Amino acid sequence: MRVDPNYISNLVSSLDQSQANEQQLTAELSSGVSITSLSQNPVASGENVLLLNQIQQDDTFTQSSSLVTGQLQVADSTLGSVVSQLTQAISLATSANNGTMNSSDVQSIGNQISGILNEVQSLANTNYQGQYIFAGGQTSTTPFTTSTATSPAVTTYQGDEDVNYLHTPNGQKIQLNVPGDQIFSASGSNSVFGALNNLVADYSSGKVNTAQAVTDTEALGTALNYVSQQRVTIDNSITQLTAASDAVTSDQTQLTSAQTNLMQADVAQVATQLSLSETQRTALEDVIAQLDSTSNSLFSKLPI
Amino acid sequence: MGTINSAFSLISGALDADQSALSITANNVANANTPGYTEETPNWQQNQPIEINGGSYGDGVTETGATSLRDSVLVARLDQQQQLASASSARLTALDNVQALFTPDSGSISSKAGDIGSDITSFFSSFSSLEANPTNNALRQQVLSTATTLAGDISNAAASLNSQRSGLDQEAAGVTSQVNSLTKAISQLNLQIQSTSPNADAGTLEDQRNEDISQLSKLIGINQITTENNGLSITTTTGQLLVSEGSSLQLTTGMVGGVTDFFLGGTDITSQLTTGGGELGGYLTARDTDIPSVLSSLDQLAYNVSTNVNALNNTGTDLDGVTGTVANPLYIFNQPAPGAVAGSAASMSVVMTDPNQIAAAGLGQGTGDNTNAVAMANLANSSIVNGQTPTDYYSSFVSTLGATVSGVQAENTAQNASVTQLQTQNDALSSVNLNDEASAMTTLERSYQAASQVFAMLNTIMASALNLGDQTAVS
Repeated sequence: MRVDPNYISNLVSSLDQSQANEQQLTAELSSGVSITSLSQNPVASGENVLLLNQIQQDDTFTQSSSLVTGQLQVADSTLGSVVSQLTQAISLATSANNGTMNSSDVQSIGNQISGILNEVQSLANTNYQGQYIFAGGQTSTTPFTTSTATSPAVTTYQGDEDVNYLHTPNGQKIQLNVPGDQIFSASGSNSVFGALNNLVADYSSGKVNTAQAVTDTEALGTALNYVSQQRVTIDNSITQLTAASDAVTSDQTQLTSAQTNLMQADVAQVATQLSLSETQRTALEDVIAQLDSTSNSLFSKLPI
Repeated sequence: MGTINSAFSLISGALDADQSALSITANNVANANTPGYTEETPNWQQNQPIEINGGSYGDGVTETGATSLRDSVLVARLDQQQQLASASSARLTALDNVQALFTPDSGSISSKAGDIGSDITSFFSSFSSLEANPTNNALRQQVLSTATTLAGDISNAAASLNSQRSGLDQEAAGVTSQVNSLTKAISQLNLQIQSTSPNADAGTLEDQRNEDISQLSKLIGINQITTENNGLSITTTTGQLLVSEGSSLQLTTGMVGGVTDFFLGGTDITSQLTTGGGELGGYLTARDTDIPSVLSSLDQLAYNVSTNVNALNNTGTDLDGVTGTVANPLYIFNQPAPGAVAGSAASMSVVMTDPNQIAAAGLGQGTGDNTNAVAMANLANSSIVNGQTPTDYYSSFVSTLGATVSGVQAENTAQNASVTQLQTQNDALSSVNLNDEASAMTTLERSYQAASQVFAMLNTIMASALNLGDQTAVS
């Protein structure tokens, strides 16, 4: 039987292959990544794109949620202050309505309520990072202005009814704002500014029309309850946001671990493969060294 | 009855035969590393015996020349397989370069650079961030900077693909001159072989012709047809004549539609060469099929992302309260002409410079509204690219590309293994085995020594005959 006398060249190409293999494994070890080109694992490469997309969406939501949490908390605490201001106004009005005060005391209460009105208006015009938070979509316009041309004075809303929502990666909508007129100048007896302006007018002259003043005080009480109800919307949003943020964070952890499993090199496994590959290469080198020496040719045995 | 003289003539013939056999062995050893050389063996022929008085006497040996150890079927099979292997090797090299542009993002910061998949996500996520605070300048700036990264990475990838494509085009064109010089050499060898050895193996000339055919097989796909008087015609795998015995047709090139096309006698045979095999087939497959398909996927992505994002941004309200019009559109990306998908990846860029022009608010809404930002963020989950979301589309794009490369890799490995196997079989038969030559040398040396000894003894015997027993006269 004849054999291929060039078998050493085949061995050398095996050696090349073994070295290429080692190079690949070393690259995996040093980078910690098991898939360095698409063709190594096309399916995993595609899956990786989707996983990274979800992880990044989650990450973006987590950042956004911390941003809007700040805004919602400002809105919540602002409404908290509004509630306490209104409570104070009601107790002042109640004391003025019991008929025991002289006209200068009544006027002073009227001034205090007027002060509260200004305070509530400035709270309603609260801005967060330069944007009015109770202005609907018109966040660059001061939402509430009061005109004292008439008595009672009139507070008008310059904003709109726009409501913004933040969307979670799984599609949940979280309300980010409540338009100011819904809170402060709702229709009928729910209007905070209407009630406050009426009270200020009631007490401004020092002579109290008790029946009217009592009605207006009750209206303010109704408006206060209404503000509290609107505050619940904001509180709900904060709760939803926290829950969504927690869910997204845990989702992100799972996705990250899936992505790591997919892409990261298993160091123990790669090290074992590398060691096997090294052994193979050493063996091949030995074989080649053994075979390639000229003393193995029959010519070297011929007498000269 | 044989005589001492006839023994002399017989043994000197043996010495001649051994010498010429030794020279064949020496030639084998000398050409042990010559590419295409086929091992030769001496032809021994017993001389016609002489009949004298009814007795038959051997008349020695003649060495009638060398025969090449060749199996034409094996050689042809090797050439054929070589064409396939060369094609897939050339294609694989090209595809490796292509897939290097889309290295998977392992999740680390450094591997994100240039990754279009991450760019797509970052871009649409920037709109999600803008939802939270639509008037925030930093978030608006973020939209523009992620858009710039996305457009830059897509157009860079397209530019690299185009330059790889023109590189392949040049390499393919460069093959032509090699093919032409080989076909010319083969036609000349045909003439020599037909005139010197019309009926038998032409030895060294045949070696040269086979070597040229084997070189040609690495370059393009060919068929060989043996003609009369040991001639040979070569056609491409689809039957266009390249060599007809003593004449060869020149392959010419010309630019058609921005790429090099290949002509044979005025006929454009580019598509036939593409499927034919050989390096040229591989280059052309990568140039005309693989890279254009990757480019067109990127074009689809770029076109649909650009037009959809532009359309939405144009219908919203920007931070200055402005809505885009036909005359003054609010476009984020360079708007491709309607339906002009081809080339949109290469020309993708960001045309918006003022982040205030991002229309986060819905039509007719205050600037604090985020409806349009929500709509643009939702594009990430809408089927806007060939019925898929941008990320799904990119994901299936990389999977498809990876699968193509890995398929060609597997094909190439199998074909190379087959070439190695055939090469081993062919080498076993035709390659010079030095051990065999050493053994042949020893045998011939011994045989030559023996013949010399016989000659010397015949000389002594002749002296005895001439002296008739007296040892002193002739020595």
